[in-house]
Amino acid sequence: MSSQITLTSSDGIDISVDRVVAERSVLIKNMLEDLGDSGEAIPIPNVNEAVLKKVIEWCEHHKNDPQSASDDDDNRRKTTDIEEWDQKFMQVDQEMLFEIILAANYLDIKALLDVGCKTVANMIKGKSPEEIRKTFNIQNDFTPEEEDQIRRENEWAEE
Amino acid sequence: MVVSLDHLPEEILHSILCHLHPRSAAALEQTSHRFENVTNGPLLWRRYCEIYYKSWDKKHEILQKLALPVSAVDWKALFVSRYHIDRAVTQLLDSILGSQTGRIEKFRAVIDYGYDAKDTLLRHSTVESGEDHLARSIAVPEWARLRRGEPVSLERALGAFDLFIPESGYGDLDEVKETLDDLVAQFGASRSELDDLSPRNKALLLASWLRDRNLTGIELGREYHALEHNFLGLALNSPGHNSLPLISAAIYCYVAQAIGLDAQPCGFPFHVHVIVTPLPGFDMNGEALSGMDVGPPMYVDPFRGARETPVSDLRDQLVFLGASETEQAAFLGPSLTSEIVQRCSRNIWTSIHSTPHPPDGHTTSMDVVSAKYASLWSSMLLTGDSRPMDLRHHLPLLMELFATDFPSDIFLVEKYIVPLFQGLFEHEHILESLHVMRAVDEIPKQVRRRTGENQNIRFSVGQVFRHRRYHYRAIITGWDRECGAGEQWMRRMGIDRLQAGRHQSFYHVLVEDGSVRYVAEENIDLILPKFSELPSSLTSIAGKHFKRWDEECRAFVSNMRDEYPDN
Repeated sequence: MSSQITLTSSDGIDISVDRVVAERSVLIKNMLEDLGDSGEAIPIPNVNEAVLKKVIEWCEHHKNDPQSASDDDDNRRKTTDIEEWDQKFMQVDQEMLFEIILAANYLDIKALLDVGCKTVANMIKGKSPEEIRKTFNIQNDFTPEEEDQIRRENEWAEE
Repeated sequence: MVVSLDHLPEEILHSILCHLHPRSAAALEQTSHRFENVTNGPLLWRRYCEIYYKSWDKKHEILQKLALPVSAVDWKALFVSRYHIDRAVTQLLDSILGSQTGRIEKFRAVIDYGYDAKDTLLRHSTVESGEDHLARSIAVPEWARLRRGEPVSLERALGAFDLFIPESGYGDLDEVKETLDDLVAQFGASRSELDDLSPRNKALLLASWLRDRNLTGIELGREYHALEHNFLGLALNSPGHNSLPLISAAIYCYVAQAIGLDAQPCGFPFHVHVIVTPLPGFDMNGEALSGMDVGPPMYVDPFRGARETPVSDLRDQLVFLGASETEQAAFLGPSLTSEIVQRCSRNIWTSIHSTPHPPDGHTTSMDVVSAKYASLWSSMLLTGDSRPMDLRHHLPLLMELFATDFPSDIFLVEKYIVPLFQGLFEHEHILESLHVMRAVDEIPKQVRRRTGENQNIRFSVGQVFRHRRYHYRAIITGWDRECGAGEQWMRRMGIDRLQAGRHQSFYHVLVEDGSVRYVAEENIDLILPKFSELPSSLTSIAGKHFKRWDEECRAFVSNMRDEYPDN
């Protein structure tokens, strides 16, 4: 059974992958359904080889997960709990982390996007504005007056 | 190009923020202009409002706001205002638990926030059953409106009884209405040809539909007067849907009115019927009458099912009872909502007093005290001014229940009961006892330390014991080095006949039946249970004094640091 397909990364590298694994991506799944299995490589123009491999690694591990129903309308408080394997998987440098998030968004892999968002959320949680700037290397572009005003507007949130 | 947080599109940043507490959004906002913009989207703050606060005070009109375009509402300001209330209520609740002084005023401050306090109350649900008080403060004004002659719908007036009953699970009257609206929708969906039916057939079809689904009436073999059959909301929500004729009629009338029938409960004695009146100019068969004459009504008994009760049967019964012509007309006409409420109130009273409480606890899991309290409130508020004797009869019962079980209702008593007695001699008495309650509440408690002569007191606040002679289980809530009750009490109780007499430590205790007693040390047998072994009767009342259970010490953790700093 020819269940292998080929993906071409933005830097022109062909990567062979099980169809079921690749179909964790709703984008790829829809493309395969539309195009039929022609055997031709599918270009993924927004994702480079390193990131694509990482994404495939995640899909491989989670290939048997049930497809979760959309919880967009879910108004319960969201947690930032992440299962252990995913935590290890996300121990990468920040650039890779954001690349994975963008790739998951582009490829439409909701569960991976969710893990990425939770990881970033955990990096923000409990930090002061200054600590957040340091963590993410954010340039403070406020004037001192603006900064003072915005601080006063947010005094309610201080413990 | 190095990818950073700044490169993530707004919708991804939005989902990241949804995983965070709004406090973190406020911190991120202060880092740069980009994040200031991202964290100020109204969608995000509407989401926070929905996630963090489920109950909203009526004044916010939250449902209308949610239906508006998102940018039409300052959701962030709304969230921040709720956050402040949440913090304030939390502080008040902590302080109510932490000190026994000034609780009434603190409680009032909590209740003044209305439904905005509910989420916080639910999180701290051990405290003084604040949500129950909140529910009662919704129920009582409904009856007060009815008393003033303002229109109150039947389902709200009867649903108010449910708000007194923790078991019913209702926190608001709108929930009762929603349940009834569901029934209307189900009935509408089950029959497509409804509009083609004559009013008579429609009325009968509805009666049989409700009866077939057991939504009205009482299952065979059940005690007719069981307390739970008196509550509209409980009947709608419980699996058996058992209800007395009055409640069955109320359910019927709601659905009937929604499908265009003029149906109202009828004041027939002993057994509430429903009277359905045709539209002017037609009879119940849908035939046109000459001019705008009103055709004769029909009578239905939803409790029994799809059978029209001939008016002659009803008349015969009334004649048999010796009712005069005018009385007959009144009994066969529609009842006022206030009359139905009073009737429900009397039914509850009858249920409480006619069903024995068998020792095996088989009949009812209902809180009889709350039911009695609801009955007293409704009958006092709806008794006409022309009947001061009835008011006087109920007053001591209400005041006693209120003082022992519902002291947080003092504001309701001041606002709704005191004015009823204007000009009567009881007026002064009520004011006096309310004054005493407040005064006692404001007195700082004497501090009792476990030093000096108090060193030898064996047991501590929070411990659970079994009484050596009477075998009830109870929690210690306070102690005296020696018997501190008056001489008369000691004589009456035969304290000097105890082995160690009056010169031993005595304990204030909270008993599993809800009573408060004063027990000599020699009668205390500590039981050191695990939490799972505590009877629910004890855990449910423990919330009045204790915040949590300490599994290691096998005792409740005392909050009464002002009076017993060393427990």
